[in-house]
Amino acid sequence: MAAAPPPMARKQSRSDTSHLYDGKVVRSAAPSRKKAAGKMKSGTEVPDDAVPEVHIPGFIEALLGGPVVPKHKFLPADRMVQTLQLGAYAMLISLGVITWIVTPPQGTFWFWIFGSVGGATLLQSMVILSATGTGFWGTMSRDPRWLLASYFLFILAAMRFASSKVALSNDWFDLQQNPWLETALIVIYAVLLVMYFELTNGVIRFSMLDTSIRTNEVYVMNVKRIISKYHRSLMINPAIAGALAASVLSINTIIPAVVNLFSSETAVRMEESVELISVYGVAMGSLFVFLMVGLMFAVNLPLRMQKWRENRNT
Amino acid sequence: MWSRKSALLGSLAVSMYLMGLTLRNSQLVTVAVVIFVFLTYAALFSGHADVAASGRRMDEWMGEEGVALSNVSAMRKLSTARVFEDGEVEITLRMQNHSALPKILEVRDRVPEVMRIKQGANYILMELGPRRETFIEYTVECPLRGFYSVGPVAVRVQDTFGMFHKEKELHVYDDFLVFPKMEDLKDTFVKSKVPKIFTGAVNIRQPGPGSEFYSLREYFDGDSFRSINWNAYARSGKLMVNERERDAVSDIILIVDSRAIAETGPVSRNALVYSTRAAASLARFFLSRRDSVGLIVYGDEVVSVDRDTGKKQLYVILTKLAGAMARGNTPLQVVVNRILPHINRGSPIIVMSNLEQDPTIVNALRDFRARNFDVTVLSPSSLEFEFDARRIDRTGFEVMKTERDILISELRGMGVNIMDWEPDMLLSTALAGARGF
Repeated sequence: MAAAPPPMARKQSRSDTSHLYDGKVVRSAAPSRKKAAGKMKSGTEVPDDAVPEVHIPGFIEALLGGPVVPKHKFLPADRMVQTLQLGAYAMLISLGVITWIVTPPQGTFWFWIFGSVGGATLLQSMVILSATGTGFWGTMSRDPRWLLASYFLFILAAMRFASSKVALSNDWFDLQQNPWLETALIVIYAVLLVMYFELTNGVIRFSMLDTSIRTNEVYVMNVKRIISKYHRSLMINPAIAGALAASVLSINTIIPAVVNLFSSETAVRMEESVELISVYGVAMGSLFVFLMVGLMFAVNLPLRMQKWRENRNT
Repeated sequence: MWSRKSALLGSLAVSMYLMGLTLRNSQLVTVAVVIFVFLTYAALFSGHADVAASGRRMDEWMGEEGVALSNVSAMRKLSTARVFEDGEVEITLRMQNHSALPKILEVRDRVPEVMRIKQGANYILMELGPRRETFIEYTVECPLRGFYSVGPVAVRVQDTFGMFHKEKELHVYDDFLVFPKMEDLKDTFVKSKVPKIFTGAVNIRQPGPGSEFYSLREYFDGDSFRSINWNAYARSGKLMVNERERDAVSDIILIVDSRAIAETGPVSRNALVYSTRAAASLARFFLSRRDSVGLIVYGDEVVSVDRDTGKKQLYVILTKLAGAMARGNTPLQVVVNRILPHINRGSPIIVMSNLEQDPTIVNALRDFRARNFDVTVLSPSSLEFEFDARRIDRTGFEVMKTERDILISELRGMGVNIMDWEPDMLLSTALAGARGF
């Protein structure tokens, strides 16, 4: 015999069917579909997000194989990057001062435009100050765009129509009386400029590496040894570059010294020759240096050296 | 190879040199000389000599990688060669430096794009000492089924200033297989109407649909009234039902549609992914019930696994499912014509297809039904996947959905157990829906 229905059920009206769904999950459609349908328009156009984003590189990017200035977001600088930044600041101040000394306003574009030393000095100083300022900001914010601007301004400051002899805007230490010191100053200027390029580039490179390490994109083994190799290169490379540049600039001394072995009279004439003292002497010096380098590569010296080093003690 | 930095510095040096000569500015020439020296030094001591584009003698040619990378070798070990979807594989890479020089190496072990690095890293920057070796360990998560290969190992060596670099690919490959994920099925409601008869039939000793009495148990909601044992009810006062011993082993045929259209939708949510998972789950379920299971995968060709039982058969089926590629457009009718002579009449057939772009579907399934096969169709809806991914608009979706509903109704009218399988629905729910429970 069937049990009588409970009193609550009798009270329910016949149209109320909610009790049929008690404890049951009623599905009408996938939730995501309903949600999406509510948001969708009734048009037939292809939604924007259905089209994948494709970055088409411009001409320059295609030429360089990537963006001219990568826009990376870095994590806060670690100790290594901070050290490099400090080094870059020091380099920047020294470079700013030396650039101001070795690039007098005479011969600059603005001197040619204004025709006055005062205006040209003001503009030249502003260019150097801007180069230093943008360099500071670029190094601090680790933004390659500011650094590029700084490089451009430093090169712009050096772009002057110079006479054959080296001129200084301020000769506080009476360098023009001592050609060796003058040469040393030019070499220091050149090395500082290149080191500034390298150090600021190092700030960006190591920031990228540090960010990649901290986001687990890359794992670095023996970080200290890798960094110490970089530090060592930062010492050795400018020293060699400076020595070679000094020898190039001293061509008016080196060539007569060699010639002196055969004819002292010719050597004296060469020492006093304008061609050897001028920029063409420098060009000739560099030509000699690069002939030597070219010769080294022509006889495959790097490969031979590498093979010898690789197979040592085998 | 020259990097962008060295190329830019080189160009700058050349321009400054020429400008210096033009403007008679020795400072510019000096800066250019310093840059040239930087470049030359980096080229000389960076462990390779690719600046010497000419003058290299053939007998000294060490291959594209140069001397620096000729003494670097790699080996790899995988923790397993077979894993299920969402499983993990631990990879150990052994890097060796056979030369007398320490090297700063950038090593990238290529893993398939769909894999996710769970632990560790496959991209390593390292200083590898002379005649030393190191082990790199990382774990990848495998979200999608398939045959995969890890490798090659790309090794790069460059100078400290990043001006020149050389790359080498060490062709070390390791293959592994990702099987489709399986869902635990409690009951599929699929049974053979005609028991398989062969000598020495297996005594199943399991309750299930059949003719022989197995045991008596209490009545649960959902049990058929016809199975109530009224005598036992009268004796005990509780509703009792008869359980029957499951009939002899059945042949189950699983048909998976792997045509190109089956991959419509996102990579991880499409009809083929769902179909392979369903086929794997069903194969495991039926094989555990000691049924014999056969598989047919059709796309650009018809690949079949002959019916068999046991655990080995499960792995054979899983391997075929892992390798199912969305290709071609073979109609279902071709499959039906090919397999009809070889399967036992009345065997349950489970088809997993999105039922799209195949005009032969109705005729093919009618052929099965005409021969009294128990046909179940699980149809993952590509429309839903596309709609969820917002690739089709609502109007288009509704129109196509209506067309699909009409097709499903037509098939249902032929006696096919069919279920429109929505993306968020469990396989067991879809099966229950297909069988009308």
